[in-house]
Amino acid sequence: MRAHTFILSLAATTMLAGVASAQPIKVGLTGPYTGGSASMGVSMRDGAKLAVAEINKAGGVMGRPLLLVERDDEAKNEVGVQIAQELINKEQVVATLGFINTGVALASQRFYQEAEIPVLNNVATGSLITQQFLPPKEKANYVFRFAANDTIQSAMIVDEAITRRGFKAPAILADSTNYGQLGREDLERALAKKGIKPVAEEKFNIGDTDMTAQLLRAKEANADVVLTYGIGPELAQIANGMAKLGWKRPLIGSWTLSMATFIDNAGPNGDGASMPETFIQIPNTPKRKAFIEAYQAAYKVDRMPSPVSAAQGYDSVYVLAAAINQAKSTDGAKIRAALENLTAKVEGVVTNYDHPFTATDHESVTANMPVFGLVKGGRVVPAHDEDVAGANALRLKTH
Amino acid sequence: MQILAQLIVSGIAVGMIYGVIAFGYQLTFATSETLNFGQGEALMLGSLVGLTVVAVTGYWLMLPIVLAFGLVQGAVVERLGVRQAIKTKSESGWIMATIALGIIFKNMAENIWGRDALKFPSPLPEAPLSFMGVNVLPMELVIVVGALALMLAVEAFNRKSIYGKAVVATAADRDAAGLMGINTSVVITFSYALSSMTAAFAGVLVAPVTLTGASMGGVLGLKAFSVAIIGGLSSGMGVVVGGLILGITETLTGFYLSTGYKDVPGLVLLLLVLSLKPAGLFGRTAIKKV
Repeated sequence: MRAHTFILSLAATTMLAGVASAQPIKVGLTGPYTGGSASMGVSMRDGAKLAVAEINKAGGVMGRPLLLVERDDEAKNEVGVQIAQELINKEQVVATLGFINTGVALASQRFYQEAEIPVLNNVATGSLITQQFLPPKEKANYVFRFAANDTIQSAMIVDEAITRRGFKAPAILADSTNYGQLGREDLERALAKKGIKPVAEEKFNIGDTDMTAQLLRAKEANADVVLTYGIGPELAQIANGMAKLGWKRPLIGSWTLSMATFIDNAGPNGDGASMPETFIQIPNTPKRKAFIEAYQAAYKVDRMPSPVSAAQGYDSVYVLAAAINQAKSTDGAKIRAALENLTAKVEGVVTNYDHPFTATDHESVTANMPVFGLVKGGRVVPAHDEDVAGANALRLKTH
Repeated sequence: MQILAQLIVSGIAVGMIYGVIAFGYQLTFATSETLNFGQGEALMLGSLVGLTVVAVTGYWLMLPIVLAFGLVQGAVVERLGVRQAIKTKSESGWIMATIALGIIFKNMAENIWGRDALKFPSPLPEAPLSFMGVNVLPMELVIVVGALALMLAVEAFNRKSIYGKAVVATAADRDAAGLMGINTSVVITFSYALSSMTAAFAGVLVAPVTLTGASMGGVLGLKAFSVAIIGGLSSGMGVVVGGLILGITETLTGFYLSTGYKDVPGLVLLLLVLSLKPAGLFGRTAIKKV
């Protein structure tokens, strides 16, 4: 009798141990958690962690828990490259999520491409990112994206400024990073399509505190609107510089105008700045409502530092989980194939994902999906209420 | 004309920021021929401590607290990073040590205050003042006046008080001052304390205009370093003029040439000064006997 009990309990113990020690599936998570773009990196990470916690609570993927291996790339290209090698060779991740900075993504993702491990870019927007390794030159492209790329954003910015709001003489202010300069080229191209040449094109560096020269040049060129490509702190200096010079023109720019560092540091000077957004922190679908409430409860904040990054980070985890489930494997090539032909429908925050990718199209966001946001009283609100009401609330990818 | 005036006014405001940080480099170099490469971080710490204190005490009461903090922080840097190097007459130990301390301070600040740029409340109205079409922020005037006042106060202290005379004596000849009974190592500690105090003061002074945050020290500290080289590390007046030169060239080049080349003339000037007058525009050439 006693021996019997012993064997039973032994069996029970081994079974329990079996569940608890089910090999976790390692997923890399890389982004800047320090420095000027940290609010985006941290929001992306927190969004992704939220999704992983939900998935693990519901039983994980193929009965195994997901494990995020977080690394801070400090928005530095060389650090990103080191992290890529570490995640691939030492941690042996099955896929990597992240990249906030276009430069870091472009420098790092070739290592994943060579190792045949999928990269899910959930924030970086440089147009080139998904175009680096196109077949047939490469066997397959391992780079996917969950953000509105700069081609989409620049076209939207120009549409909003020229067509919707009727400005005629735009000035472009862009920072000197890869992000700013590639964005400036995209803006120029989008303007050229409308037959417009910017009246001034000015550059500034990360850390610049005085924008007098740039703004005076735009003013002397009689600009009636200022289009921006930069990140939060410097964008705030532009808004503050305008107030100082007594030369107020509308700021329309890439989605970084929604960064907390812009909104907080520009204060009232930043009101009215507008930008394309894949997600605005308003609960206009049930999924968004649940996501916002879960985020607020988990991280004890009212306003998300970067709602777009948080939402895209969250969605990228669910789509990856669906792909691993479909592939029934953690093999990179099989996950990539599953991503390119994802049959499960994934309900997300930004959108609902129904075949988000194909072998030739690695962008989950199309031009019809982002809407214009507007800074008002320290928050981002929809610039045009009709854009987010009723059937316009949930926008699906056009195939 | 109006534009030129506006550019020069903005250039002066920026230049004064560089100048007052560079003044801190000059203070320690004079007494010990060493520099605190974490000067930018001393500025950052001063401004972040100020940001925390200002919420409790208001702007004006916060100033003495930040000054005291700066004094202590500077003394700590000297004790941990520089003293040993001076004792062993190491030529470069203090360089690595002060850089390392700077990085440690930056990481500490990131953990305490986070990584984002933060807004520093302005004690004065944020609406610009207009003089004949030239706009200037009230805070920019305070920066210029405050920086000048601080530098004058430090200079007056050095020239008039007995403690200041000890500093000047140490600067003139450390060995002779030691033989005259001056405790030179205390003087050097003190000059570091003073240097960090000016940096901390500069931090709270410029923060309402530049924003504050753990990474604010990097660019400003580096610019101030070139200002110190241009003006001359041995001259208090030199760093002020150097700061103004750099600030004004930056805004003028940005407007008249191209904003993409804003930083170039400053660096060209730096190279020119280094090759033509290595001690700086206002520096005394020291002859080193070997």
